[in-house]
Amino acid sequence: MKTQNIASHKNPLGGSIEIIKQTFTSAQDKPVKRVSFVAGLHGDELEGVYLCHRIIATLRQLKATRPQAFRGEIHVYPAVNPAALGSATRLWPFFSVDMNRKMGDKNVASLPAEFARSLIEDLQASSDIVVDFHASNLHLKELPQIRIIEEFDKKLIPLAALCNMDVVWVHPSAPVFESTLGYNLNRKKIATLVVETGICLRIHQDYCEQIFQGMIHLLRQTGVLDLADPSPEIKQPLLVHPKQVALVQAGHAGLFVSDVALGTQVQKGDALGTIVDAVRGEVLETVTFPAEGLLFTLREQPVTYQGAPLARIALKETL
Amino acid sequence: MKETLLSISSLFGDAVTVYKNSWEASKSDDNVLSIVSGLHGDQVNGIYINSLLTRFMNRVACGQEPDFKLKGRVQIFPVINMQAAQSGTHVWSFDDLDVDLAFPGSDKGEVTERIARALLTHTADSTHGVILKTADPLYEDAAHIQLVDPDRTTKKMAESLGLPIARKLPDSTNFKLGLFGHWRENDIPSLIVSAGKPQALDRSLCDSLFDNLVELMVNTGVLTVPGNKKAVAKLQIYAANAERPIMSSQAGLFVAEARVGGFLQQGQKLGEMRSIATGETLEEYAAPVDGYLVTLRHYPVTFEKEVIAILFTNKKPGFWPF
Repeated sequence: MKTQNIASHKNPLGGSIEIIKQTFTSAQDKPVKRVSFVAGLHGDELEGVYLCHRIIATLRQLKATRPQAFRGEIHVYPAVNPAALGSATRLWPFFSVDMNRKMGDKNVASLPAEFARSLIEDLQASSDIVVDFHASNLHLKELPQIRIIEEFDKKLIPLAALCNMDVVWVHPSAPVFESTLGYNLNRKKIATLVVETGICLRIHQDYCEQIFQGMIHLLRQTGVLDLADPSPEIKQPLLVHPKQVALVQAGHAGLFVSDVALGTQVQKGDALGTIVDAVRGEVLETVTFPAEGLLFTLREQPVTYQGAPLARIALKETL
Repeated sequence: MKETLLSISSLFGDAVTVYKNSWEASKSDDNVLSIVSGLHGDQVNGIYINSLLTRFMNRVACGQEPDFKLKGRVQIFPVINMQAAQSGTHVWSFDDLDVDLAFPGSDKGEVTERIARALLTHTADSTHGVILKTADPLYEDAAHIQLVDPDRTTKKMAESLGLPIARKLPDSTNFKLGLFGHWRENDIPSLIVSAGKPQALDRSLCDSLFDNLVELMVNTGVLTVPGNKKAVAKLQIYAANAERPIMSSQAGLFVAEARVGGFLQQGQKLGEMRSIATGETLEEYAAPVDGYLVTLRHYPVTFEKEVIAILFTNKKPGFWPF
């Protein structure tokens, strides 16, 4: 394993802040493919950081025992926003800047923008396929899924199907995506899969294990890893398009309480939960599912305002 | 007249509200100036300036400012991100979402999206728009106008504000998500006035900008004064390629010596970087060329390769009027 710093700035107390890249080279002169894994763009999203640990540990062992298995090249960037990861915040501290809203913007002179530029340039130079790991924000918990912007679906759906996900969600483009890593790399013709799983500030080992198996499967199916042992069976994801996703929102401000498990197949009219008034001891709203489908997003942060998302279901039938 | 644009109830306290103050001379006059502040909760100069403008407009409406007469409509939106303003933070910690990256918003979405949609809806018929802001966190700006690819009308509007310095910002994908970008997309002549630093009130700066904004009201025709409109000062517009950032090559405590808002000569000292551990000076910073100091770091703790200051150089200034 080769370790590189792709960006390094001295910090005020004598240390440094850096983006580390771990590379596993190919046993062949010309790698069949170059695959990169990225985590930690948001400093409170730790599922991907843990996944990178799993990937690095496994590849190190494989490199030591079966170096010929590496027919392609693998790069792992386990902590690309070290300042935010160190303080466990979504945004880069001090600046309150979202590093994943600084991609592709060449004109901004700031530390987060500089790191964003270094990262995207390095990925561009060393990847054919990129997997960008995200957890959800503090409010919602997500089943393992890959989100794909419609304009890139033809290229990305076949790759996403290899990744052992529960859901592959194809959604329309919007301006908000234009400054993200995934959008900018896909525009540069580097196939980039954006993984969402779990919730921030936590590690769900079952989800991570599922995704880890998916990533190894992806590496095998793309020819990057050549392993003789049989490949474990993987999930066929539910492919959903925009009209196949129903969002359930809060009608009241209050505390949302639910005992439904993420991943449940729900029926129309099933109870999702209640919104309660903690101050007056009243139930403000009983929330039910509007249709039949797979519950793939569920609110974890109980405090709601009107309009707050409570759940998403992948519909069995298009609305 | 105070009008609530949006009120979202909260379980534990006051509702999240966005309001505007407006004054209208006649329904038939389609000249509408919208002035927005508090998109970020830590940018208090704009909130204060809008409070001065509100007091002034109330006096105009009551006839207590006999020199001024309202002709069109003035709308002031003093605090857009009230939750962040009350906690003194750039964004609201509940969702960490930047309101100014949430446009066009949604009237069925989350709080931040609803705020954005309400503001956009209520400014849609504006004939002129002004956003009041400060420098980004950690920095201080000299009062200046920010424009993106301005047309003739916008340049005239900028000129009529009476500030001497404007900066042409390079277009950015993030503008598409902000109020300014949406105003531009809807062909509303608009500009940003940036002045001062976050979390600090500079009263003399605000008093001066208040005068500029009254001047803008007169020059755009929403207010009338007896006699001719005031003569406008020459506006110097600096293109993006006339900006000269000065970067740190050491990390430590930056101690500023210069002040924003003046022309510096080549070699004039901006400040120095000192070691936190030893107190020794690690690096001195000086103006590399003659230029106008528009932005200076005010927060001392600094990493390597950070922006210390931005100078507008005389390399390729654009001049206005035409």
